[in-house]
Amino acid sequence: MPRYKIADVVFDAKLIYQYTVKLCAGYEYAGDEQPAFSAEVTMDDIMKEKALAPEFPEAYLESLALFRKLCDYTLKNADGIIFHSSAIMVDGNAYLFTAPSGTGKSTHTRLWREMLGAQAVMINDDKPIIRYIDGEFYVYGTPWNGKHRLDTNTRAKIKAICKIYQAKENVIKKADTSDMLITILNQTIRPSEIELMDKLLTLIDKMLSKVDIYTLGCNISKEAAELSYNTMSKGESK
Amino acid sequence: MKIKDGFILREVAGNYIVVAVGDAVKNFNGVINLNETGAFLWKELVKGCDEDALLAALLAEYDVEEEIAKTDVKAFITKLTEAGLIK
Repeated sequence: MPRYKIADVVFDAKLIYQYTVKLCAGYEYAGDEQPAFSAEVTMDDIMKEKALAPEFPEAYLESLALFRKLCDYTLKNADGIIFHSSAIMVDGNAYLFTAPSGTGKSTHTRLWREMLGAQAVMINDDKPIIRYIDGEFYVYGTPWNGKHRLDTNTRAKIKAICKIYQAKENVIKKADTSDMLITILNQTIRPSEIELMDKLLTLIDKMLSKVDIYTLGCNISKEAAELSYNTMSKGESK
Repeated sequence: MKIKDGFILREVAGNYIVVAVGDAVKNFNGVINLNETGAFLWKELVKGCDEDALLAALLAEYDVEEEIAKTDVKAFITKLTEAGLIK
């Protein structure tokens, strides 16, 4: 049974398909820490994923089922939340871009990498995990890294979260907390148990008071990346 | 008139939101954003009341003209009914 360490959670996974084993290979763990839990993905779990996304093959759905188990565990036990976003690290600070699929969050972090070169490190391009540890919010790389397969097995303190929409002219401003709250709730996995929902909402409440939040209207240009990076890295919106 | 089971009102980062929990998740997957008045009306509807009682409660709590309050209460009830949150 392979053992993994993802988002600083050590766990064993019982898997059916090689796809998931390969996907998670960069997160295999051989250290001394004992596993916090064991995740067994059954055909039943895979069929539940299939009901939500019938177009995908079972092997891929297995990886999603494993992700869901890990997210359940981290929310319950490790103050962790999944946040559908493209997370990039510059000078030790993490910046998270979120938007509905197809808006251009991956494109925008690619523009950052083109602008900043080796100074910018992708943490995860699709499904990073956020954890609240000792009063700080960290984003962790995970193997569920999106179609461009971009992730790093590391973590960084979150400096800012930015919601992206497409626009002709580039414009950035501080986001309304109500807008960002709804955005986060729509880009995470919401638990159905009331205790876990309250836990999630408490974490989001803390996160919104701790990190900077922005909305960015942008096109696909170097100027768009310059505007967002210059504004967000300073920590003050103009 | 009463809010169906499984819908909870919470204050998060200074905003009032309603989300579904438990079995209600199957039929409602969204998030509703309420202002302060909306949250007040919601709390009354959790206890259960008719439209007149809701209007009376709103008038007692807020300094608002009756005609405006009436329109607001109607709109609020319509919105929640359309979203399937009232039984």
